[in-house]
Order: sequence, then structure tokens, then C-alpha cells
Amino acid sequence: MMLKEQVFRIISQVMNVSSEEVNEGSSPESLERWDSFQHINLVLALEEEFKIRFTDEEIIQMRNASMILETLRNKGVKT
Amino acid sequence: MLNETYAEIQDILNKAKTDHLPKLNFSILRNVIVEPIVPYLKFLAYKMGFAAEVRMGDYDNLVQESLGVREEILNKETDSVLIFMKLENLSWTVARNFTALRTGDVQNEVLRVQETISTILGGIRKQTDGMILWHGFEFPLYPSFGIWDSQIPAGQVGTVVDLNNFLRKALRSVPNAYYVDLNLCIARVGGKRFYDDRYWHIGRAPYSREALCEIASEDFKFIRSLKGKSRKCLVLDCDNVLWGGIIGEDGLSGIKLSKTYPGSPYYEFQQEVMNLYNRGILIALCSRNNAEDVWEVFRTHPDMVLKEEHIAAAEINWEDKATNLAKVAANLNIGLDSLVFADDSEFEVNLVRQAIPEVTVLHLPNDKTVEYRNILVSCGLFDTLTISVEDRERGVMYKAEAQRKQLQGQAPDLETYLRSLEMVVEVKFADDFTLPRIAQLTQKTNQFNLTTRRYSEADIKKYMEAEDADVLSLQLADKFGDSGLVGVCILKYSEQKAVLDTLLLSCRVLGRGVEDVFVIQALKLAKRRGCEGVIGEFCPTKKNAQVKDFFPKQGFEPLSRSSKEAKETYLFLMNKPLREEPSYFKEIRSLICE
Repeated sequence: MMLKEQVFRIISQVMNVSSEEVNEGSSPESLERWDSFQHINLVLALEEEFKIRFTDEEIIQMRNASMILETLRNKGVKT
Repeated sequence: MLNETYAEIQDILNKAKTDHLPKLNFSILRNVIVEPIVPYLKFLAYKMGFAAEVRMGDYDNLVQESLGVREEILNKETDSVLIFMKLENLSWTVARNFTALRTGDVQNEVLRVQETISTILGGIRKQTDGMILWHGFEFPLYPSFGIWDSQIPAGQVGTVVDLNNFLRKALRSVPNAYYVDLNLCIARVGGKRFYDDRYWHIGRAPYSREALCEIASEDFKFIRSLKGKSRKCLVLDCDNVLWGGIIGEDGLSGIKLSKTYPGSPYYEFQQEVMNLYNRGILIALCSRNNAEDVWEVFRTHPDMVLKEEHIAAAEINWEDKATNLAKVAANLNIGLDSLVFADDSEFEVNLVRQAIPEVTVLHLPNDKTVEYRNILVSCGLFDTLTISVEDRERGVMYKAEAQRKQLQGQAPDLETYLRSLEMVVEVKFADDFTLPRIAQLTQKTNQFNLTTRRYSEADIKKYMEAEDADVLSLQLADKFGDSGLVGVCILKYSEQKAVLDTLLLSCRVLGRGVEDVFVIQALKLAKRRGCEGVIGEFCPTKKNAQVKDFFPKQGFEPLSRSSKEAKETYLFLMNKPLREEPSYFKEIRSLICE
């Protein structure tokens, strides 16, 4: 649960929406500011927060919040 | 470098109310994707008290944009133009495929790149006077020829050096244009961490988050100086900062300070403080101690780099540090926001941050003494666009000031004292030699500054060349030494009237009647230019209260007080007789009126 909250918080900070507006389905389609540039900023913020590094393929594939969560879990991120 | 994470920075910016802040307009011309730098630029601007607007040029559209195809990118409102012209997208062969080039090919590529630089630079200057910050070309981390590259006369690295030298020279020939050394940024961050090859391939964004943070911080050293926000004074705690241990307990032979471990971190820290002193930064002390104990270290410890003569002000007592810092600022006649305070105690650091947030605090943690030097040199708060002769001599000048004060104490009255100084003042038109110092004074003078208008060298140059404006400088010397160029006055003419657009004096020559000479000289010049009246403007700020009655004292009549513009205007009619200049000057050299 902690991981999810943490990821939702970062999405809300980078995309400038309240954390209540973020859910597993949040994506560039549902959040206005989530364009390709803001996607870079999101990836950079996630990498800094969890001290991990995504591969280029992971960056391309993480197209919504639930895929971000799945990728982080696959990389062994717990909290 | 920054304490906040990238997500936090964006969160702070999203929530910040910035409508009331002055604008800082950036335009970025680039041939790569650097969009993730925007939060850093905005955040650093916000911390400086500005609201940054960042306008992005189109991808790889530098030449066209520099020639003015998009007016919203480059215009009169532009404060700073950032150029990111990466060699990979300008000359792929030089940057990446150097082995494929013959000698003649290299020469052709170099010429082509040089022409592009000249076109872009000249084009930008036609659109805007804003500060140009050009990020130089990067060295290849691994040259195409390998180790052989360094052995031949015109290898890949050598070619990049040549291009950067051309760029530097081109930038020097254009006012308000500066070279930003990306290779220094790379060296600090580390080449492997500087680049993000994933985003280079996904979207032609070469730089990592860390790299962009470092680049933005480097850019802000320039911006801070441009906006008059460079710090002027470093205030140092003593125990566990200048030496290891506590002098009151460990004694002169017990404290750690030497050229070898464990005293060497303190020794090397002091050497960096001396570098700041030599650049004209004031050095002060603020320490809980018995003053005599501290001065004994300064006078007798063999490995003290700092000497008593380098210290412009000292508050060594048992009062709290916030009070003492305020005293230091008052003593030196500078604002609290000009101070940087370095202390090892977390308690003191937090106290000062709470009580006087204007003061920037450097925390030097006790368990990281080996990093003291690095913390100081990397802060970038003292950087200035130019370091003038006046800056480099500042320490000597403060010593002369102390001698003046001593003399003043002995004189029976003020006029006798002023006469005994044997002051020689010289007023003349600005020229190319005085131009940098004049711009610098407009950027940093806060107290005796009637309008506080900040001008770049390009702005001053324009006024110098304009038909309807004059730029005057004032220099002062006395028997204790040469204070150098300490006054600036800019007159603008229209319809038989002159407006005193700028009138300022450096704070270290106040109280000697220099301002009277300066105004009388300006009025004489206006008369000679055929003006019937001179308008004095006063724009109140938090710092210039001491000149609020300046114009009435000089015989000007109040004209208006426009509360909306927060500007007061005064008029001096030329049919009024001019006052005599004070008689206690040894000599008044006027190179503008006679």
C-alpha cells in the first residue's frame, strides 16, 4: 500500500493534481499535463525517489499508473 | 546540491503564488531536448525572489529563431537567452565519427560551425539585449581515435577546444554575452552520470537530471550577478570552522590547524576563504568566544592563513548569532541578504535560518570536515560577472577606511576631518575602460541608489552611444588610498529637460560630501546641454531609505508622488543659481564641463 501511495503522490506532484485524483488508471489520457515531456519529468522523479534506473523499454511501456507500479514491483521496489 | 527532490520542486512550484514577484524571462534556443531543466530554472528563480517564465525555441531551429522568425521567443522583455547547441546535432562527424574525416574535412566542418555561431550570435543581439548564456561544446568522453587523439596536433578533443576558443572570443565581442563551461559541469557531476543515453535515444534529450540541475545552478551564478543578488560578505564561526576544537578549552597548541591531517581540512578551507577575500568578498567573524582567545590564534598560530587584517568586522562575544549577524551587516553598511554565514553547529544554523531568513547559511557538519572546502567553493553565491580592480583592492580599502575612522575620532569637527582627508574627486564620461565597473555598480548598489535600475554592460554601452543620454562616472581618492570608481550618474534628455535616470554611490564613500559634488556636476552638464530643468527620480526600496530626502536637500522641488508607480519626482529649474561645491575637497577634476 505504501508503494502505491508514494507513486500516486509523485504523479500528483509532477502532474499538478491532488493525490485523490490519481488512481491506478491514471494516464496521459486522463491527466491533462501528462504529455511526453512531463513523462520524462515523472520518470526522473520516480528514479530519484526509489533510487532505481528504468531501462529504455520500461520507460516506453509505463503508459499508466498501474504499469508504473508493476514495473517498480518487478524491479524489487517494496516501500 | 539542492535539498529538495525533483518531485518536491515541482510540487512547490505548482503551489507557489508568484504573481506578485518580478518576472524573469528565459528563452531557450536549442538543438536538443532540455525540457526537464525548466523546473530547476523556475525553482532557482523562485528562491531568488523571481517568477521565471521559460519560452522554448523549436527543436533544432536556432538559426531561424536567432534571425527573428518567432517574435515571442526573442524580444525586449527577454532577460536571458540560454543556448544549447550540441555538437552531435551540428556536426555529427566531428562529435561522433571523427575517424572518417581527413584534415581538410575537419577544417571545413570547423569553418561551417564557426559561421553558424556568428550568425546565431549576431542575430540574437539584433532581437534582444538580454543576457546570452551559451553552453560551450562538450569534450567526447572517449575520443574516436582513442589514446592517439591526444598525441596528434588536431585531434577530436583539440578540435572541440578550438571551437570553444572561437566561441569564447565571439561572445567576448558581444556585450552581455557569456560562455558557460559545460566541461566543468561534466567534471563535477562525472561524465557517466552526466548523460542519459536512454532519453538520448528515445527523444534526443542528452542530459541526466543531475546534469540539468548542475547546469541550471551554473546558469544562476550568472543570473544572480546580473540581478544584483550575489553575496558580498562571508561571516565565519571560529571553533570547528577555522580550526578543529575549541580554543577556550583546547588552547593554542591543542586546536587542529596544520598543513597535514587532521588539521589540513581547516587549513585548506581557510585558503578558499582567502580566495574569496582576494576577489573582494568581505570576511567577518561571528563567534561565541572570548575575543582575546580568538585574536591570539589569528596573531600567533603559525598555520593561520587568515590574518587579523583580512577581517572586515568581528562580533566575538556571548550574544546570540542572529543579533551578532545583524551587527555585522550594520557595521559593514550592507544588507542582511548580502551575508553568507558558515557554522558547524546545527543549533546555530537553525536559529539563524529561523530568525533572519535573509541570511544564507552554509552548514559545515562536524563529521565532514574534509568537505568544508568543497561546500564553500561549490556554493556559487559569491560569483560575479566581472571582478574589477576595485574588488581586488577591497580589503586594502577597508583598512584605509579604518584609518579614516581613527582620524575622524581625533578631529575637532567634521569639516576639519574632511579637509584633512585631502580628497580628490574626478567626474568624467563613461568609456570602454570604466564600462564594466559602471554596469557592476548599477547591479549591486542598494543603499545610496535613487532608482535602483539594474543595467548590463550592453545597456550602459547603448546609453553611452545614444545622442539623448550621458553616462557619468565619479572616482575618489584621498591620502589613505584610491577608492576607485564609486559613483554613477545617467542623464536622459528630452524636450529641454534632463532626467536623472540613475544616481548612485558606493556605500563606502558616503558621508563625505561626494554626492553634493556629483549632483552639482550633473546639473552643470545639463545646463551646458541646454536644459531648462532637471528631473530627479526617487524609487523607494527596502534598502534606500537613507536617500529619501536627497533631492529636497539638493534644492529640488517636489513635482509628483505617483503612488501607483511607487516613484517620486522632483524638479530643479535651471534659472535657480547652482550651489558651490564643498570647499573641503583638495581638488575637483571635472572632465565633463570644462
